[in-house]
Amino acid sequence: MAIAQSSAIHNLLLRHLENPFLVLEVAVTAEIGDIERQAQKLLAMLAAGLVEADRYPTPLGQRARTPELVRMATSELRDPARRLLHEFWACGWRRAS
Amino acid sequence: MFIGIDLGTSNSTLAVFDGEAVTVVANSLGENLTPSVVRVDSRGNVSVGRKAQRFIETDPGNVCAEFKRLMGTADAQQFPASGKSLLPEELSGHVVSALLANARDSLGFLPRAAVISTPALFELPQNHATGKAGKLAGLDDVVLIQEPIAAAIAAGWRQDLQGTWLVFDLGGGTLDVSLLETKEGRLRVVDHAGDNFLGGKDLDHAVVDWALRQIHRHFRVPDLNRANPRATRSLVRLKAACEQTRVELSRVGESVVAVPGLCSDLEGNAIDVELPLTRAELEAVVGPLLVRAEAVVLRLLAQNHRLPADVAQVVFVGGPTFTPALRSRIGEMFGGRVAEGVDPMTTVARGAALYAATSGLDARPAMPASTARSGLSLRIEHPAVTADAEPFVVGRFLLARGETSPHHVRVQRREPPAIDGVGDQDVAISTEGSFVAQVALAKHRKNCFRVSAFAPDGKAIELATSDFTIVHGVSVADPPLARTVGLACADDSMQTYFCKGTPLPARRMFVHQTVKAVAARSHDDALLIPVVQGESFRAHRNRLIGTLEIRGVNKDLPAGSRVEVTLHLDRSGQLHTRADVPAIGQTFEDVVHVLVPSASVETLVVQLAATVKRIEEVRKRAFQSGVAAAVQALDGAPLLLDDAEHTLDIAKGGDRDAAQRVERLLSEIDAGVDEAEAVLAWPDLDAEAERCSLLYTGLVAQWGTSTEQGLFDQALRAATQARAMRNPPELERQLQAMHAIGKASYCRNPRSSASELDWLSSHVVDALNVAEANRLIEHARAAMQREDHFCVRGLLSQLWSLFPSSVEERRKSFGSGIR
Repeated sequence: MAIAQSSAIHNLLLRHLENPFLVLEVAVTAEIGDIERQAQKLLAMLAAGLVEADRYPTPLGQRARTPELVRMATSELRDPARRLLHEFWACGWRRAS
Repeated sequence: MFIGIDLGTSNSTLAVFDGEAVTVVANSLGENLTPSVVRVDSRGNVSVGRKAQRFIETDPGNVCAEFKRLMGTADAQQFPASGKSLLPEELSGHVVSALLANARDSLGFLPRAAVISTPALFELPQNHATGKAGKLAGLDDVVLIQEPIAAAIAAGWRQDLQGTWLVFDLGGGTLDVSLLETKEGRLRVVDHAGDNFLGGKDLDHAVVDWALRQIHRHFRVPDLNRANPRATRSLVRLKAACEQTRVELSRVGESVVAVPGLCSDLEGNAIDVELPLTRAELEAVVGPLLVRAEAVVLRLLAQNHRLPADVAQVVFVGGPTFTPALRSRIGEMFGGRVAEGVDPMTTVARGAALYAATSGLDARPAMPASTARSGLSLRIEHPAVTADAEPFVVGRFLLARGETSPHHVRVQRREPPAIDGVGDQDVAISTEGSFVAQVALAKHRKNCFRVSAFAPDGKAIELATSDFTIVHGVSVADPPLARTVGLACADDSMQTYFCKGTPLPARRMFVHQTVKAVAARSHDDALLIPVVQGESFRAHRNRLIGTLEIRGVNKDLPAGSRVEVTLHLDRSGQLHTRADVPAIGQTFEDVVHVLVPSASVETLVVQLAATVKRIEEVRKRAFQSGVAAAVQALDGAPLLLDDAEHTLDIAKGGDRDAAQRVERLLSEIDAGVDEAEAVLAWPDLDAEAERCSLLYTGLVAQWGTSTEQGLFDQALRAATQARAMRNPPELERQLQAMHAIGKASYCRNPRSSASELDWLSSHVVDALNVAEANRLIEHARAAMQREDHFCVRGLLSQLWSLFPSSVEERRKSFGSGIR
């Protein structure tokens, strides 16, 4: 049970470390246009192989940023209901850190 | 050059976008639509389109049509004259190949990449088969797009559209209704609904059924029915005549279904069929199907809390939407706000071509190395099509030995030559040899730029690549996933990897534990990792789409071992799975064999009987409980059951498509019954949530780390919200998180090990290996006495691995070997 629990927590943490606001490094108040533009910039930087784009800071240290993560993050924030959920968690993270 | 293909049930179309305009490529007969029909003659020669369609009545055994509905199944079509058999994706591959040949004749080169459209409700197996069809046709790169998105892109192209749209796409075989939203030129799919088995073909079948009733009224032809395989030839002819009449009645008020010498009666007399049909009669015949289509629209609006008045425009797509009754019925729902200037027959292919540009999927063959320009190599990354008027452009110099990076670059506008207040811009090069610039675009047109590089002294440096083009228009980032994908765990839960709407490609890794041991070097002993697709938190309520097997391990793999599972979905819907098992240093990889399961007619009969019984039981419970929502959830079941029974009769006549439809209907009925059960189970779930919050709040506060406390706090708030919204799947998800955090926190209590050990000792008879469990319990007690807590925890985790989920749960979760 201990291992199963630790993996459940691990998976839960993995999800939270992929919070779109963390991945895209944008404020929770950012407009959708700014979010799309930031995502487009990051995707272009990743495609060009720029080192400065391939990691992002989280409360638990740096994590690798991939084009898939950036696309998923943008898509999540396009949906107002999903965005609300991520804003909720992102605010929680900020309070916790 | 960007290619879009609408691979339809009845007809297929190819369109080309050159950055300025979209054109539809006609076939050798000068037609924009190529029938999706394939014939294989006795010498094995394959013909496609109109040429094949001509033989549909005279040589039906060697002609295949409407195979799109079978995509993703293993149902091979036999061609007896040549002895060949072709899978649905191979048949589609021949259609794509024919379209590409037309494009080659028109463009002067054979396209190497294309976007192919698929119905929004296609699941992974069907998408995968479509991607494969493109590859079989010789395409190197295939990207899929959902048909309604393609239609909306085509309709919204070069227009300043804002607000909500509804795309009503009634194709030959499927109905897709999508709610889309355009904000600042960005298109988003809000939601979609549909029916994978409602299309023009079903309208035709309704007319065939009507015609059969008329024929039976006047003639003694008992063998002429859809359940009789020997009547196929006559029915093919009758269906062709019915289709022709139905299409005619879109333009005229009256027509005739005419088939000379359709069949013979019991006395051997040839029967000439001539059945007059008016438009009003046709509308009555297809009325139930139109009601079904209307219900899909209303359901979609209701589940998104929208009213018809909220929809700015409706776009009609697909040939059957020419049916006047359908057009007026749906059009009137939205006060006649129907988008004009949209060709329902080619709009999907046009949108797919525009989307190919958004994806940067150039169809031209790669330029030979000998024609490449000399100079510094520069990689320029930019969106091919964007709704952003000021996108970013990133460049990186790829320097060979001895070459140095320029000092700065100048980004110059070439076409259109000027935009008010925006001129050329000089950008410095970073130490990495890269630059990031923001360019201004002229709206709704092609914008061409040139990059020039300069040395510190201002001298120009020659570049191998310097020009790039960005088109300003409606943009869609990536095709969204139609249904949630995840793994079935042994406790019948689903670990979600990709939610519905996730853009493709996508990749994700999660950690799991094995629940059973696997013997070394045994190829009979395997651990299954089932991949499922669907929206239910319970694994068994979703559809199994593939299984990754861990088999032939080099060392014994004990239960409770860590497995890191990565799922990767590419843009063509192909699913790659990978399981890393650190304990034995082995990796297992597979491309999941995604197939739509096809049940035999006998199995379907049994399934139907089981479904009827289940409905009766749940309905009884629903009435006894007096919960109106549970009763309402079963409202649609009787109608669907009738449909399933009728379709099953047709399937008994050998119609494979009908068998697929019965399967779909049964899963749709099951979904309704699941919903009713979820409503009935709500009081228990709500009580469990109350119990969990009381139990774990104190435990986590006392024993949890600060991270655990933070996570628990958030999960508790989300659970409270889910309770208020009466959202069972979300509440189940949050409860799972609360359980995990609560139990992990409690493990820090020194007395927790003792109580866990007591529980395990009292349930030892349930262990997979009782002797081993007893041995571990003995060791754990000894370790506890010498206060070796680390050792106790290790032994407890080994012990828990011997207490897997119940047999019933594992059976339901497709035999999953992980949790």
